[in-house]
Amino acid sequence: MKRSVPVGILYSRSGSYARISDACRKGALNAIEEINADPARSIRFEAIERDPAGNVDSYGPLCEEILRDTPARHIIGCVTSWSRKEVIPTLEKSGGTLWYTVPYEGYEASDHVVYLHACPNQHLLPLLEWTFPTYGRRGYLTGSNYIWGWEINRLARETLHAVGGEVLGERYLPIGSVDIGRMIEEIRATEPDFILNSLIGPSSYAFLKAYAALGADDPRFSPDHCPVLSCNLTECELDDIGAASEGLIAAGPYFHDGAQAFVSSHEAAANAAVYTLANLLEGAEENSRLHIAALLQTPAGLQSRIDAKTHHMPQPVLIAQVRNGAFRVVHSGGLVAGDPYLSQPVPNAMRRLRVVS
Amino acid sequence: MRGGRIVDLGGAHAIILHRPHAAVSALSRQLLAVGLRVSTQWPVLEADALAADFVFFDADMGFDEQFPWQKAQAPMPLIALIGTEAPGRIEWALSTGATAQILKPVGDSGVYSALLIARNAFEARRALSAEVADLRQKIGERQTVVRAVVMLIEQTGSEAAAYSALRSEAMDARISIEEAAGRVLLRGSQPSARKPKGGAA
Repeated sequence: MKRSVPVGILYSRSGSYARISDACRKGALNAIEEINADPARSIRFEAIERDPAGNVDSYGPLCEEILRDTPARHIIGCVTSWSRKEVIPTLEKSGGTLWYTVPYEGYEASDHVVYLHACPNQHLLPLLEWTFPTYGRRGYLTGSNYIWGWEINRLARETLHAVGGEVLGERYLPIGSVDIGRMIEEIRATEPDFILNSLIGPSSYAFLKAYAALGADDPRFSPDHCPVLSCNLTECELDDIGAASEGLIAAGPYFHDGAQAFVSSHEAAANAAVYTLANLLEGAEENSRLHIAALLQTPAGLQSRIDAKTHHMPQPVLIAQVRNGAFRVVHSGGLVAGDPYLSQPVPNAMRRLRVVS
Repeated sequence: MRGGRIVDLGGAHAIILHRPHAAVSALSRQLLAVGLRVSTQWPVLEADALAADFVFFDADMGFDEQFPWQKAQAPMPLIALIGTEAPGRIEWALSTGATAQILKPVGDSGVYSALLIARNAFEARRALSAEVADLRQKIGERQTVVRAVVMLIEQTGSEAAAYSALRSEAMDARISIEEAAGRVLLRGSQPSARKPKGGAA
């Protein structure tokens, strides 16, 4: 008889980033099904689902509901950093843990969160390092108006200045806004070497379509000349972008480039969350009541590759470009440990770049 | 460490001056996650504390003799760990020269911003103190400048020419007007060395 372990699932089924939520949710639920069907496992997960429907103010109360009304101590969920910050106080109060499966901007190492996707030293910095010699150092920065775009663009700006590059423009849109005319005009006027796009959802789709149309008219804005880069774009949104996705460049820990199991890195990270949690909870029943910090000190915890200090994981650094409708990996930077506060020494290649400037 | 970055904290050394306590472990956890080296001392700071980059101290049980420097003269940013928000304790915490605080119980966040705010305020205060000291010295040397100008008027014949001579003296030697004035007075007090040129003027 398997031991039943309740686990919270907190993803928005609707709203402006529902595609990403769906991908994460699918990865988590599929993995739960596999664990439950595996006779070698001593536990089975019981998913307790709540849907904040894309409303940031619903995350805190729904997280509290799960932790208060059910025995679940672990929650897999949240997409935006904003929603993650909303649930952390509740997790602190109840000793719960959030398993977070999307890229984020760093500068956090909560004792109540496990970060299973990439942070800037695993996505943005390697992406820029690869971009500069290939396309140039004059960038245009866009983003949705919240912490992800702000912080990614701040780091990009700082990196560009450090290597003698230039920021030709920096513009933000409210989440959900498709008012992209001004950005396109500024890009046309300033002719950057690349565009760093940290818009999310419909804003991003509208921008990418308009920019592809510009590129079709004017070769100065074709992907070969001035590509769009992103640290948050994955396979799960390609359908929404359609033909305009051709030539987009993204950084991430996983791309569906061949016959792998997962459609996107979100699905892969959510799968890893469930399997890692299952490994931590196997064995003694009391494990389900242990706080994540204690779980990480167990033999399974030490094997989990979750860094006990920062709760981040080593991630492969991959850069991929959309070619014929699918991501193709164009550069592989190896496995890199998460460094959320960028306090570790700068990698050699980046230091060389800085010396050149 | 990364030069010029706001996040230039990797490898920095933080000392926590606090008796063994849950606040210390919560604080250490956050500091280690940010990438600092951490040590704990109690009840007084050892000599090696002078080389630390940050000192966190207990504002509840703290007292002046814990610190191996003059009051408010810490050579690094200080961050107060405040549990009891009593006016007397806050007054004492302020008197140490602390430039940021963290409230106890210490939770899951707050340390990173405290580090940046403490360092920023510490550096601003240090720059301001240096400027004030510099200005004080300049004011103190007003008398020197006046005396040097008077002396130079005798040699050059006019106030304008005297000022001009003093300015050239400072510019040639790349020193301040006050220092140049000092040199003029020094030469004036050694008449034999200065006589030939002074006589020609």
